Amino acid sequence: MIEDDLRAAFVRHEPLTPSTGPLRAAIDRLARRRRQLRRRWQAGGTALAVLGVLGIGVPLFTPESAGPPQAAGLTGASDRPVAAGAVNVLLVGIDNRGSVPPLADSVLLLHIPSDRSRPYLVSLPRDLKVPINGHDTDKLNAAFPLGAGHSPPDLTKGYELTRQTVATLTGVRIDTGVVLTYSALRTLTNEVGGVPVCLPERVQSAHTQRVFPAACQRLDGAAAVDLLRQRYGLPDGSQGRDRNARIFAAGLVRSASDQGVLTNPVRLAKLLGAVGPDLAVSPGEATMLDLMRLVPTLRSVDPVGLSLPVGEPTGSSHFVQADPKLAPEFLAALREDRLGDWVARHPGQVSPTR
Amino acid sequence: MTYEEFADTRLAPLLRYAVMLTGDPHQAQDLVQETMVRVQLNWRRVARADSPERYVRRMLTNQYVDWRRGSWVRRVLLRGEPDSTVPVTTDHAQSAVDRDEIWSWLSRLPRRQRAALVLRYYEDLPDVEIADILGCAVGTVRSSISRALATLRAEYVEA
Repeated sequence: MIEDDLRAAFVRHEPLTPSTGPLRAAIDRLARRRRQLRRRWQAGGTALAVLGVLGIGVPLFTPESAGPPQAAGLTGASDRPVAAGAVNVLLVGIDNRGSVPPLADSVLLLHIPSDRSRPYLVSLPRDLKVPINGHDTDKLNAAFPLGAGHSPPDLTKGYELTRQTVATLTGVRIDTGVVLTYSALRTLTNEVGGVPVCLPERVQSAHTQRVFPAACQRLDGAAAVDLLRQRYGLPDGSQGRDRNARIFAAGLVRSASDQGVLTNPVRLAKLLGAVGPDLAVSPGEATMLDLMRLVPTLRSVDPVGLSLPVGEPTGSSHFVQADPKLAPEFLAALREDRLGDWVARHPGQVSPTR
Repeated sequence: MTYEEFADTRLAPLLRYAVMLTGDPHQAQDLVQETMVRVQLNWRRVARADSPERYVRRMLTNQYVDWRRGSWVRRVLLRGEPDSTVPVTTDHAQSAVDRDEIWSWLSRLPRRQRAALVLRYYEDLPDVEIADILGCAVGTVRSSISRALATLRAEYVEA
């Protein structure tokens, strides 16, 4: 009898159903907007990958033993064959102003599969709860200062502890890595004569009170660093900053390529020579030259943006935990060079539009 | 089948289903909108399913069941688009509906239980299909339906 009442109640409420016409138009509109966002993100991803490649090029000119930049290194002969198999490069972006040990603002893995189809950019959330070798469990971004120490911070050691932490977490072999700092960014920006950006929203710096209008403008090195440090006060906090960083990275690459820097070895050498002292790089097993030579072998330089699958932030310190089901699958795919396959099965995981 | 063909025939039934799930035309629209945007963006995958219709119904049901703060509700609320798409329903049928007790009791049920009731008593689906849509065992479907009915019966006694 209650079953009949239920059936009747459902049927009685059918007239509540709105008409589908406007809804269908709204669906189409929203789908179009998300497609645009996705494309824009891909453009930003390309820029990041090129930045990574710029970083990869650096050690050629700033070997641990120092010495002046040598353009010959880029074009010149190497006895070693181009690396075979998959290649993983760890990119760590840090905030190294002042004497405090710097935190890692962003930790990325650039993965180049053995079929050389296209690069994958895997971001590892900086709030991820991880065991850190020789220390307590902490956020991933704490590994850098714990390794670098205080007086004065040693970027190489900070990188090394971050590398160990990421290697333990992911089980992935890391071939080489690079640390990008704000001062490197400042030098790079000035070397290319400023970077054009078009900001969607006005940003006021909490550090210098400088105002960046919601418009197109050209940033010099100091302004670029100021803008990229802003996180508080942006509508979506660190997501807003990531967005500005993508806009900036795209502008930087545009500036560099407009001037032929990316294709002219001598200019590139000069640029990287200028930035070099601010970049700390770990000598990996593969030489940087080997990695540089990979770039032309890629069928596409358009990277696939991925993120380690995680759950919602928990507790007052906002730790995030790896997703117990998806993360192990994802990491296995990364280790076994099956990311293309994994992406095909989990298209929803591509690009952080969640 | 193309996305357009799918939407031509299936959008209205999905919207009715969403109204039964949420009990509210606005929320139903948001639920269907969010689901169908994802359907459109991933149409190739949806079209590969044995039954695209059931696949989408499962997407929509999951979306409804996983409805927690921070998921689609927040996106929907923050979207800030005008509600011009919602027809105003202020006729007599509507006010009668507002006095409808069983309808308001339904809103207090856990979402999975409500979804199970809608699938059995509105969509008239067999328990096997309900289990497939909810992603659980047939036994679980039966027990959640009987629990839901027990709750409703208790309300009857009180009322």
